[in-house]
Amino acid sequence: MYRAITIVKGNSGWGGPLTIMPTEVCNKVVSLTGGGIHPIAVKIAEMTGGELVDGFKTAVPDEEMFVAVVDCAGSARCGVYPKKKVFTVNVTPVGKVGPLAKFIVENLYVSDVTETCISFAVEGAALTSKDGSAAQTVQGTVALAVTEPKTKAQARAEIAAMNSGKKKNVITRLGIAVGGVVNKFYQAGRETIDMVMKSILPFMAFVSMIIGVIQVSGIGNLIAQTVSPWASTLPGMLLISLICSLPFVAPVIGPGAVIAQVVGTLLGVEIGLGHIPVQYALPALFAINAQVGGDFVPVGLSLGEADSETIELGVPAVLYSRLITGPLAVLIAYLFSFGLYQ
Amino acid sequence: MDLIANFANGFMNLFKAGAAVFSSWVTGIIPLIVILMTAVSAVIKLIGEERIHRLAQKATGNIITRYTILPILAVLFLGNPMCYSFGRFVENKHKPAYYDATVSFLHPVTGLFPHANGGELFVYMGIAAGVTTLGFPLGELAVRYFLVGIVVIFIRGLVTEKIYAALKAREQ
Repeated sequence: MYRAITIVKGNSGWGGPLTIMPTEVCNKVVSLTGGGIHPIAVKIAEMTGGELVDGFKTAVPDEEMFVAVVDCAGSARCGVYPKKKVFTVNVTPVGKVGPLAKFIVENLYVSDVTETCISFAVEGAALTSKDGSAAQTVQGTVALAVTEPKTKAQARAEIAAMNSGKKKNVITRLGIAVGGVVNKFYQAGRETIDMVMKSILPFMAFVSMIIGVIQVSGIGNLIAQTVSPWASTLPGMLLISLICSLPFVAPVIGPGAVIAQVVGTLLGVEIGLGHIPVQYALPALFAINAQVGGDFVPVGLSLGEADSETIELGVPAVLYSRLITGPLAVLIAYLFSFGLYQ
Repeated sequence: MDLIANFANGFMNLFKAGAAVFSSWVTGIIPLIVILMTAVSAVIKLIGEERIHRLAQKATGNIITRYTILPILAVLFLGNPMCYSFGRFVENKHKPAYYDATVSFLHPVTGLFPHANGGELFVYMGIAAGVTTLGFPLGELAVRYFLVGIVVIFIRGLVTEKIYAALKAREQ
């Protein structure tokens, strides 16, 4: 008999969670990874009772393919199986990328899967549907559990048989290791470019527009005369940090650090023009940023698995604390700025 | 006619200055950031998050490492915003202080390790641009920002922990 499992994405993964169960027809767990059957495929087959197949040795008709386990770095395989509407488990942390990216969707695909990502589905959980049609629910898993799908010993023997004559030699293992390292570098590059395109360039576009207008329109002189004197004395900077850290101001000017970034850029221009002494760059970094994360306390705390009572009291605790530590940070940075660029 | 032409020229000049700033940033800042971020995040992926869990767990033990080593590890390895998830290693009464320390390190880290908070680089880079204009190297500012950051997050952790304890005591 078959059992339903839930597969969630790994730490750096994408997609899912998938709650899936094999059927009489569609029950083959196909391992499409280099160097023999992948342990993840073994685990899925063991837990669901599906039939384990090495996709590189045996061709499986699409309609019998229950899950495809791949180790694709984002060029082709990770998109091929979602395109065929086959649940796809990628053991590498690759998201919606590659030439077939548009077929990689959350209800067919999950990545960076490790053994801890796979668990038995709770009874009553909705099975993930491939096309958004009415979802079935997991039923009778408890009753079925009595008839253990396949004993571990049996499964192991089968895998050993399948992998026999294909023992991983040094070159295969070396290949897998090098492939893994290269994949990680490739993924790092992809994430970096993604960050540049989605966050850094848009920010540069909007701030350089503002700076251009400020420089040409003469608002620059106004800032030089009004703001620069404040930012070039210790009391002025203490005052700026105090204002930024007021409990009713901090959450308002916190989001995305946009205001701190704009103010930082404007101060940078003033430092460049010599209106603010260069060693004040260090305390200024703290003065304009006393509010950091003041808007994000509840979200940050819940990411850290805090209980609701802690979140309730944690928000004022952080905000009150800033009234003290905001100006204090400026003072410390001021002391550390002695001898900077002199 | 001349009036309109002059107006159009003035209008374009307004944006030409912005365009000059933009192209200097794109050519001057982005290439280095791209290579640096790729290299560091690749190394961090190779080390792997799981491998530092035990170290993180150890760092929760005493008050000094809890608000220095633990947030630094979290920010370097997980970046913004997943770094807060290391809060699960500390007790509930320390979570707000851990959050405060961690979030306060998200900008001091960017001078040396921009990958950790790539979306909010300009708090540091904006000010650093002025220092570059004057012809000074950035290394000294980046290192001092990082070090002062460590001192500041430690103090924030300490103060917030005490304030949270006081609020909690008043509640009961």
